Amino acid sequence: MSADRFRTMISLVLAAGVAVSAVLIGIGFATALAIGWQGSLVGAAHATGAPTTDFGGLPGRLAALEPAAIAQLGLITLLATPVARVTASVVGFVLECDRLYAAITLAVLLILLTSILVLR
Amino acid sequence: MTPQADLGIFAISVAAGLIGALAGVGGGILVIPALTFGFGVDIHLAAGASIVSVIATSSGAAAAYVRDRMTDMRVGMFLELATTTGAVCGALLAAVASPAFLYLLLGAVLLLSAASQAGRMGEEVPPEVTPSALASRLRLVSSYPDRKLGREVTYSARNIPLGFVLMWIAGLVSGLLGIGSGVLKVLAMDGAMRLPMKVSSATSNFMIGVTAAASAGIYLSRGDVDPQIAAPVALGVLTGAIVGARLLGRVSNRTVRLVFLPVLVAVGLETIGRGLGLAL
Repeated sequence: MSADRFRTMISLVLAAGVAVSAVLIGIGFATALAIGWQGSLVGAAHATGAPTTDFGGLPGRLAALEPAAIAQLGLITLLATPVARVTASVVGFVLECDRLYAAITLAVLLILLTSILVLR
Repeated sequence: MTPQADLGIFAISVAAGLIGALAGVGGGILVIPALTFGFGVDIHLAAGASIVSVIATSSGAAAAYVRDRMTDMRVGMFLELATTTGAVCGALLAAVASPAFLYLLLGAVLLLSAASQAGRMGEEVPPEVTPSALASRLRLVSSYPDRKLGREVTYSARNIPLGFVLMWIAGLVSGLLGIGSGVLKVLAMDGAMRLPMKVSSATSNFMIGVTAAASAGIYLSRGDVDPQIAAPVALGVLTGAIVGARLLGRVSNRTVRLVFLPVLVAVGLETIGRGLGLAL
């Protein structure tokens, strides 16, 4: 992989993460302004009324189209974007046949995943 | 939050994203006080929104910086090895260390660095040097297109072991105190490793998202990320960061320093304030 293609790939991963999260957060935020953070777009009967800081039970609350849940999915996408970027960097350095930097980036990814999963 | 408050938070966040993208910092210095003092937001939710702000500044601007060759990805990845290790050590040490003393120490270091930053104000690009054996081995020799100067500027990283140690400390400090992660990274690259200011800022911007992502899980599981606050912050910061990233290529290195220096002084003063027990 050429250096230019590597840069384009990393740039696209970042731009995609930003675009997807911005759209989800935007939809969640705009609909919350209309029907409130505790509401549901498919009718009040579907709203769980869970606190907006609670990221649990996301699939069910997404199915009920709760504004808070849509925004939460967007925020999780945003927070995961740097992890996706480091993962893509490992792939890029491997394809560039740069063993030193593939190893360095893989080590960063492992430390990153360990700290996300272990430190809490 | 009322719609007026949402609009206010959004506007402050645009400014934070713009300044953060130019200076290579996360914007927490602006977002946290604005949320707590301006809008009466609980400090924990403000800190959770700040983590979102750091990642939004980083990802929002880095897409452009990487594409435009402002970010040095090898410098960034090599130094992330130091910052992530430091951040883990910081989080583990948080229970035993004395924060008041550490805040005062960090604040003093930042204010002292402000003096040397001011001294480099007139330097557009660092003088060219013969790359060291270590810089060549680690491929930390590169160039960036400077649209303001209208030429390709070549550089090579100097004092690499010192830079690596400073980056480890930057990670340690952000894990321990949750402040100053961006300014320390810029200082290590600009001051110690003598990279051009714009490359230091863009590469710090690239790195801070990873440092912040390492602790994002803690904030999520503690319930510190509230979409009611974090959603307008994220939307505002992304807007500001995308605009800021378009500016960095066009302005001079001196202009970047003029944005960075007040941020550095503000973070230094706030850090000392925290050390003295002032609720900032």
